[in-house]
Amino acid sequence: MTTLIILSALGLVVLFSEIFGYKKIVLPFIFAGLVAALAASFIDWNIGKHYLNEMMIVDNYSIAFTVLMIAITIVWFIISPGFFRDQGSRVDHFALIIFALIGAQLLTSFGNMIMLFLAVEILSIPMYILAGSNKSNLASNEAALKYFLMGAFATGFLLFGIALIYGQTGSFNLQQISEALTTQQDGGGVMAVAGVLLIMVGLFFKVSAAPFHFWAPDVYTGAPTEITAFMSTVVKTAAFAGFFRLFATCFSASASIWVNTIMVVSALTIIVGNITAVYQTSFKRMLAYSSIAHAGYMLMAIISLNGYAQQSILFYAVAYSVSSIAAFGILLAVSHITKNDDVASFNGLAKKNPLLAFVTLLAMLSLAGIPPMAGFFAKYYIFTAALQQHYTWLVLIAVLGSLIGVFYYFRVIIALFKNENSAAEIPMTGIYKAALLFISLVALVFGIMPGLLAGLL
Amino acid sequence: MLQFAWLIPVLPLLGFLCISFFQKQLPGKSAGIIGSLTVLGSFIISCGLFFHPASGGTEPVTITYFDWINVGSLKIPISFLIDPISCVMLLIITGIGFLIHVYSIGYMAHDDAFGRFFSYLNLFIFFMLILVLGSNYVLMFAGWEGVGLCSYLLIGFWFKNNEYNNAANKAFIMNRIGDLGFLLGIILMFVTFGSVQFSEVFSAAKGFPDNQTTIVAITMLLFVGAMGKSAQIPLYTWLPDAMAGPTPVSALIHAATMVTAGIYMVVRSNILYSIAPSTLEFITIVGMATAIFSATIALAQTDIKKVLAYSTLSQLGYMFVALGLGAYSTGLFHVTTHAFFKALLFLAAGSVIHAMSGEQDIRRMGGLRKKLPVTYFVFLIGTLAISGVPPFAGFFSKDEILAKAHMHSELLFFLLSVTSVITAVYMFRLLFLTFFGTFRGTHDQAHHLHESPAVITIPLIILAILSTLGGFLGLPAVFTEHHLFGNFLAPVLSTPAITSLAEPSHFFEYMLMGISVVALALIIYMTYDRFAKKEMVPSLSEAEFKPWYRVLYHKYYIDELYDKVFVKPLYWLSDVCYKIFDIKIVDGVVNLVGKGVVRGSEVVRLAQAGSVGIYIFAMVIGIIIMLVVNLY
Amino acid sequence: MENQHLPSDFFPIVLQFIVAAGFVVTTMVATHILGPKRKSKIKLETFECGIESQGNARVPFSIKYFLVAILFVLFDVEVIFMYPWAVNFKSLGINGIIEMFIFMVLFLTGFMYIIKKGALKWE
Repeated sequence: MTTLIILSALGLVVLFSEIFGYKKIVLPFIFAGLVAALAASFIDWNIGKHYLNEMMIVDNYSIAFTVLMIAITIVWFIISPGFFRDQGSRVDHFALIIFALIGAQLLTSFGNMIMLFLAVEILSIPMYILAGSNKSNLASNEAALKYFLMGAFATGFLLFGIALIYGQTGSFNLQQISEALTTQQDGGGVMAVAGVLLIMVGLFFKVSAAPFHFWAPDVYTGAPTEITAFMSTVVKTAAFAGFFRLFATCFSASASIWVNTIMVVSALTIIVGNITAVYQTSFKRMLAYSSIAHAGYMLMAIISLNGYAQQSILFYAVAYSVSSIAAFGILLAVSHITKNDDVASFNGLAKKNPLLAFVTLLAMLSLAGIPPMAGFFAKYYIFTAALQQHYTWLVLIAVLGSLIGVFYYFRVIIALFKNENSAAEIPMTGIYKAALLFISLVALVFGIMPGLLAGLL
Repeated sequence: MLQFAWLIPVLPLLGFLCISFFQKQLPGKSAGIIGSLTVLGSFIISCGLFFHPASGGTEPVTITYFDWINVGSLKIPISFLIDPISCVMLLIITGIGFLIHVYSIGYMAHDDAFGRFFSYLNLFIFFMLILVLGSNYVLMFAGWEGVGLCSYLLIGFWFKNNEYNNAANKAFIMNRIGDLGFLLGIILMFVTFGSVQFSEVFSAAKGFPDNQTTIVAITMLLFVGAMGKSAQIPLYTWLPDAMAGPTPVSALIHAATMVTAGIYMVVRSNILYSIAPSTLEFITIVGMATAIFSATIALAQTDIKKVLAYSTLSQLGYMFVALGLGAYSTGLFHVTTHAFFKALLFLAAGSVIHAMSGEQDIRRMGGLRKKLPVTYFVFLIGTLAISGVPPFAGFFSKDEILAKAHMHSELLFFLLSVTSVITAVYMFRLLFLTFFGTFRGTHDQAHHLHESPAVITIPLIILAILSTLGGFLGLPAVFTEHHLFGNFLAPVLSTPAITSLAEPSHFFEYMLMGISVVALALIIYMTYDRFAKKEMVPSLSEAEFKPWYRVLYHKYYIDELYDKVFVKPLYWLSDVCYKIFDIKIVDGVVNLVGKGVVRGSEVVRLAQAGSVGIYIFAMVIGIIIMLVVNLY
Repeated sequence: MENQHLPSDFFPIVLQFIVAAGFVVTTMVATHILGPKRKSKIKLETFECGIESQGNARVPFSIKYFLVAILFVLFDVEVIFMYPWAVNFKSLGINGIIEMFIFMVLFLTGFMYIIKKGALKWE
């Protein structure tokens, strides 16, 4: 709750910085505010409280995810310093990012369907605007419009689902819904089934699972790279945190309704994401498809429904967001010089920019799930959790998918070590380098000592 | 002191990171100084642990830092076990490691890759410390693999020479064979006991009867790992080739520490081995065979480092014999004294090679005694120690093994004695050929001859002192009631049923000492007469060799045999597999799959046409299918 | 007991629906069928108070219209929150007042923001 208040105040302060003319000092202020919010998150650790008539439930799960997302946002503010420096509305965008973060935090800690809906909207609306924040770029405009149209469409389903569930159970409170669904005969009947499915559709859209993923590649590619970085890390993590919270707790009693659907969607997402990524020559678009594929793996954790599921989805979210933000950080630095997003612009990076190449290497290895990195244990935990529920064929598809994944991630690594002298020296500030190095090391440390994180929840 | 235990491996790791990251920035010798200081720090903490009451014979202490792997029933923490066994090993590794680091500052001074050398050396120390500190088999295995990697990197340190790279590969591959056994052993152990934690495994093992099949299988598999790492028959051929690495590496890794990892592992698992007498019997036979076999090979070698390498093999065989007899503390005692004098011999040999501008063939040396007085003196002490001349270190440990063997079987005692005689012969041959007689090298070499600088000789002198006095740690029962070394280790060791507890009679001990002294005097006289006085230097051309000598010179043609029996057929098989199986079948399938994926990617990509209408249409279809399937 | 409704209780409402819909449909169909049909060019033209129409009716006009309209709707809707507070004014007590004041402050800062940003400036 304290975190929420700090973040909201911070958002307002940032919003007004332009009007009251303290724009210059706003960045230090943002860092201070985010660090304060990060620190405040730990207040309720191991206590578990609920606020506002159980609208918000803060437990270790939500705190862990909140901390992850605030930390990623801090890194985001480090790696996007040149974010639209030439545009007048720069601080407005910063404010929107912080508001989106508020939505993300709510999405990890809602205790009520209304709160879920509000969180999804608070998270989504700033993202619609930010996707189109590069006003002079047609692709950016297109991305924003597509995102908004389809997002509105999906939100409609989410709301419809919530309404049906309310109609059946007479409550918005997750605890009461869960009780009602267990006590009612045949688990609430047609209305409950339809309600759960429609809520699922809305959330599938948010996490970009096939066949509701079509917006993702276009929006990820069209939006400014900084925004894509935020979308594919914080927004995605938040969407999964919310998805897992709703289904693994509230709807866990009526699992028979949705497990099979998620299983099929998960398999489809893994296949589509990985196979399409192979064909991409643009690094940015490749990451977009790979983020779809990762959504498929994370869906596996939701249906595992056992003790490992929670820790495995947290581990996956950490490994994925950390490596992903590193990859985008590198892309930002590289594309700033080469002016395009192609994998080819990484050619020969190792020679001129060994540090950058090292970070890229670690990020790619982690995303591909190669042993010394966190990505390996992330996949390992998810697959183990799924195997314990005997989803053998799903794990088989997932393993095959990750094998395909190795192919396109390694293409980047190969490009790094290509013997080409064309690569330019890429200038970076000290703090930028430090941030990139730090997150790569985080991915490495969790890969070497997964116990640090896995035993947390 | 225990709260600093984590620093022991972390310091060398920091050294490694620091040196490898700032290789280019570090001026002059500072990489070597950093490397040495980190190991010195570890040594000081190890001393602290050694004198800590907890390790002085009471309960072993396990310090758990954090969970490393935690999946289902498999819980592997990063935790260190500090007990007498690991304390002894810590002191050997960090103490001798430090001396060798200092020595290397002088020895490697003119090498271009000075920094790289020290970074590898520090990394090696780190992994070795993990190996002996780890409180479970997986952590031990991690260290085990790590030292293998460092050994590989250091053997092929001068990677521009292709032969050295081959030697490195050979070491790596042979070790992999052993490691496979070790890994299988760990897996079988986890299946049997449900844990890989030392304490849990050992307490669970106490309930098993002697020679239970599973236990024998586990111990045998673990021993296969030890055979690879400690170079026992038949996985021994890599060690002589490993001499391709810089001499300090040979001293540290291939004489004093890494190769004794196998012995450490068996001593650590002594509770398991004690209830598997068949494995112990097997270990005795393998150790004995290696000891005598490699001692005979050493008789005919002409490369100063190769002689020492085969003598290392032979001594490792000795240690395994001791372990096989259930005399674990004796085995570890020999590890300790051997670490002293073999490191000394290697480093002294390095000093000779340094003075000879890289020459390693003893046929081209001779008469170095006058030019290299300090080196000569310490080499003499090393030779006396390894030959078992009282009161030098080797005498007591070897004597103890002989005494134990005598209690077990007369044949074993006889064979070990013969080995001991051969050892003295080849060592004194080496000594006399190198340091006595006339100089046989080129004029340039003669001109260049000089005693090594203090940074090299001081470690040599310290090691010489240790080689002289080290034996008093374990005086036999004749002299004192207190076998310091044995008593120190006693609380953590077990005694298998096959070991006779009877102490050898005092008469026997005196007789043993008397006979060995007389025999040694005789050997020294004969070798002096033959190699120093008459200078019967082995011929440079192979044609003049006598048949038996030629067989020994070629190391019984074992390398050639392995080449014919294993390597060639393997190449042939892999060639056939490659041409038929790989290209035709696997490549075909893989290419087909690859093409399929790319083609599929092309097709799936088409759906991503950019039209919102199509996207929403696809979504609606998805929703309809979901609803229809779930509601009907 | 008063809260219990039987489906038959809703019958008058259904009846009203049917009558309302029926009236509209009947009148429209009836005029369509009964009315005379004369189609000439002048009759089909757009009627603009007798003045001849010029150009296309769909001309672009300032986006400011939309902005102002959206802002109006936004503030209009937010003000609705005051109604439930006003109704429960007594029961919510002093806490209600404080909360409402916080809401109003945030509300006004938003208003200040749009004014400072120049969203309401026409030129």
